This record gives sequence, C-alpha cells and structure tokens, in this order.
Amino acid sequence: MTKPLRIALTKGRLEKDTVALLERLGYDCTAVREKGRRLILPIPDGNMEVVLAKAADVITYVEHGVCDIGVVGKDTIIEMEGKFFELCDLGFGRCRFALATKKDADFYSGFGVKTIATKYPNVARKFFESKNMDIDIVKIEGSVELAPLLDLADGIVDIVETGVTLRENGLEVVEDVVPISARLIVNTVSLKLRQQEIQELVAKIEEALKNND
Amino acid sequence: MRKYDLITPEGTKDFLFEECLVRRETEAKIHDIFRGKGYYELTTPALEFFDVFQTESGHYPQERLYKLTDSKGRLLVMRPESTMPIARVVATRLKDAALPLRLFYNQSVYRFESALKGRSNEIVQTGIELIGSASHMADLEMVSTAIEVLESCSETSFSLEIGDAGVFKELMRELNATEEERENIRYLIETKNYPALNDLLDTMGDSPAIAALKRLPAMFGGEEVFDKAAGLYSNQRINMILDDLRQLYGEISQLIGKGRLTVDLGMVNNADYYTGVIIKGYLEGYGEEVLSGGRYNKLLADYGYDIPATGFGVNVDAIAKVAIKENPREVKPADVLLYAEPGYEMKAIQLAKQLHAESGVVTEFALLDDIDAVREYAREKKIGRIVVVDGEVTEV
Repeated sequence: MTKPLRIALTKGRLEKDTVALLERLGYDCTAVREKGRRLILPIPDGNMEVVLAKAADVITYVEHGVCDIGVVGKDTIIEMEGKFFELCDLGFGRCRFALATKKDADFYSGFGVKTIATKYPNVARKFFESKNMDIDIVKIEGSVELAPLLDLADGIVDIVETGVTLRENGLEVVEDVVPISARLIVNTVSLKLRQQEIQELVAKIEEALKNND
Repeated sequence: MRKYDLITPEGTKDFLFEECLVRRETEAKIHDIFRGKGYYELTTPALEFFDVFQTESGHYPQERLYKLTDSKGRLLVMRPESTMPIARVVATRLKDAALPLRLFYNQSVYRFESALKGRSNEIVQTGIELIGSASHMADLEMVSTAIEVLESCSETSFSLEIGDAGVFKELMRELNATEEERENIRYLIETKNYPALNDLLDTMGDSPAIAALKRLPAMFGGEEVFDKAAGLYSNQRINMILDDLRQLYGEISQLIGKGRLTVDLGMVNNADYYTGVIIKGYLEGYGEEVLSGGRYNKLLADYGYDIPATGFGVNVDAIAKVAIKENPREVKPADVLLYAEPGYEMKAIQLAKQLHAESGVVTEFALLDDIDAVREYAREKKIGRIVVVDGEVTEV
C-alpha cells in the first residue's frame, strides 16, 4: 500500500464543511469527527489522512510538500501567495474582502494619504496598488472595526460575511475588493507524482459540487 | 554597535562537514556526466550589471534581485541565475567559437524568496547549456543528460516531466491580450487555477484559442495527453510542436519507462525566455522541482548573437538535502593521531606526508602535551590509531 494521501484542512468551519463533503463522497471520517486532541487523523478507506492546521499553515505545509492537498480560504491564499496548484473552488466558506469606512464618510475625498487598518496587509496593498493609490497600512490583530472608530484609520479592509458587525458599529462597505471561498490546493510535485489518486479525488469532488448546485 | 556580528543574513546559512561532503560528491557525480558528454566548465562573476537580466525575452523581477552599485554608481546585481550571463559570454567572447558549444557551470545564485518559508536565498546550481543547435538531437541530448543526472541522484524515486513553451505562446498569439492580461493568464495556467482562468477568459470573448487556453492546464499526464491535445486547437505550428513532443516522449520512455515520465502542456512557469521543449525533474521527498530547463532560441539574439540554445539547471542543495535524508552519514575521523615527542616534530611531519602519499592515510597531529591527553582526545574524536614519534615510531 502506498503512503496515504495527506490532506491539510483549515481548522474550524472549513474543516466541518470539508468533512461533510468527504462523507458525501462516501469516505469514513469518524476519526476526524472524534479527533480529541490529535492533529493527524486517518481516513482508512480512502488511503488518506487529514492534518488539521491554521489557515496560513495549510499553505505552508502544501507548499513544502509535507501535505499533498489542502483546503484553505481564498483570503489566506491572496494574503500569503505561494507556489501550489489551485485546482478547484469548493464553493463553501463564501464571503468577500471589502473596504469599509464610517457611515457617511467620503473615503475617496481629499488629497491626504489614507490610513487603512487591516489584518491582511498584502490584500490591502494590492487593492490600492491596482488603483494607483499610496496608502499607509496599520496591521491590526483583533477587531479591525475599532480602528476607524478610534480614529486610527480612515478605513478598513476586512472579510465581510453578512455586514452585521459593520452595521452595529456604524461602519459601511464602500467597495467590494474580491469574493472569497474555500479552495482546494495541491502541491506541485504531488500532483505530478500522484496524479491518478489526486485527479480521481478532484473529479469526485467536482461531481459532488455540481450535484449540489 | 555590532548587532549582527554572530548571525548570517536571512535566507543564507553555513554548510558544515557532511553537508559540504555530500554537496561535493553530488557535484562531482553530475560533473562527471557533463564532462563525459564533452561539456566544458565556465564560471561567470557573482556580480553582474542589472541590465544583463533585463532582456526582450524576459526580465528578472527587480524585487527578487540583490542589488548594489559599483564605484561609478552603476547598478549591479548578484546573479539570480546562470543562463543569461552565459548567453552574454557566448555572444561576446565566444562569438567566433565553433558551434555547437557545450558549456557547464556550477555556481551560487541569489534571489529573494518569500520570507519565513524556510527557503534559501543563496543556492548552488549546476547545469549545462548546449548552444548553437535547434535540432531534435540537441533536445534529446539535453533531456537524456538530465535523466542521467536524476538517475545518479536517486535510482528509484525520480520523475521527469516534459512540455513545450511553444503551445502557450502560439495560443496567446491568436489573442489580442495586453501584457498584463497575458501575464495573468500565464500565472493562472501555471498555478492550474481553473476557476479563475475560466472567469478571466470568459471576459475575453469566445474563440477556439480561448477554449484551448481553458483546457491547457488540464493537459498533463501520460501518453494519453497527446490524444487529448490532438483536438485542442488546429494550427499547423501547434500540431508540429505536438508531433515533435510526442516523438520525444516515445524516445525518452525507452530510456526510463513510462511510469516516470509525464507530459504537461500547461507548464508555462520558469523564465519567460523558453521557446520550445521544457523539462522539470522531481525527486521524491522534495516539494519542488530539483531540475528545470528548456529550449531558448531567442535569448542569445537579445545579446546580439542570433543562435538557438537549450539547457537545464539542477539545484545541488536540494539534491544534497535529499541524499543526506536518504542516507545520513558522519564525516569520517582521521585514521591516525600522530604524537611527536619534543625534538621529533620534523620527523612526525615527514612521516605524515609519507603515510598520506603512500597509502592515503589521514593523519592528525596531536597538539597536546602528554600521552594521556592524546588518548583522551583520540577517544573523543573516535580516531582508531595513535602513533608516537620519538627515536623510533611506535603505535600505542
């Protein structure tokens, strides 16, 4: 028997959605559901094993080839970049990056350089580079919404799902930056060395996603 | 204040003992293959003018270059790769040499990799350039040499991938794309990002070339790829490229079998300057390619000498790393520890020289004061024999 195909999942909601998807494909994910504190879990009938990691680490593990496949949000992919194949859009984990400011503030007015608070400095930088705008970026680790309220920043670039948090804090979306959803990524060497297994799995997933629509 | 006097810059490291040993062995094995096919070594300076890497056929992204200036304020870079400097040499000093030229190199290249990803910014590459022939035999020579290199690194677990940069270039020729669009399409094909590629191409209309580009990243696998690709796009040049590649595939599969050989028509990464057959080599246990190369027929023209060429480079550090992992070893201790009593130092030096010349014995001088300390040292360093030199020579 060959080495199991190793799949890195982003812990949390993407993990649950992916496990549900794998179960729909007929794989036995009991071990993943009852994981306890273990971080590497077998899917015995699929000759696969699941590794649970934080989003950014999923990319790191796949890039280095210690995991063959990963499931990670497009948000992390845009922020981190890296060298891997992005084979399919899994459709779940949908949200978007958006630029938001205080309600009724005119973000683009005036000649001053704007300050943007964000957890995703690369996303923010690329977005404003595409508009040929110089900005100052302040990296915030926690609730980004605070920064414009405390007058530290003119606006924020952040993930927006429903917009409720923004509304409740008197902020509103100025502009959508880019839509986000979960992606299946594959190590460049793994796809070539284990092409058949990976393509079969991807085909099954795509089939299931199509039926879903 | 000295703050950084005890560490090395990010992306660089010191190589010690067995790391150097294995690296040298790897290089020696590979160079033996190169020399056996009539390749001659050259080295180019670690420092080059920035302009060398900004040609029509491809320019190196400036954010990945180490830059500095010379005494006249001109912009220099640490070479990020070796093919472009070699093209410069060929187009100047070797312009009158008989063709084809067979050159090989073994030198460090420097480029900024993404920080905090455990990658090196300085790696040793060795490789060949076969310059002045566009023939099929030249492609075959390049690819079969690459295979020999991979075989010498690992008998069991390598694989080789072939493709042709021409397919993408021909399809893009049919498209009225701006440079930026072209780069976006190239990037999405390189990363096999089907959803985004489809979205982007959908905005550019609907033509046979666009339909073909959408399918390009999926065109990889074994021999069946050629059947799939037959209906990809009918264009005389593309058909010719595919016929040639299929022939090459057939020939190489005789060398290594079909199991280790794959085709990827969506291989559009690498430097921009590739124009024809391109290859990548993989070793199990390393997450990226360890070998890559291809045909570059336009690059030399950018330096004023319009001749075709092909070649490949190997990441020596990566191969040495895999080799150490597969076959860990320690540096061998010296065979003999030589202890000279006061007054007999010159005799000991003569003896060491003689032992090495006659039988290759590795001798260390014991730089210690008494025989007990010598014994202790030999135990620690695992040196099997102690020889004392005084009026006579005794092994103790």
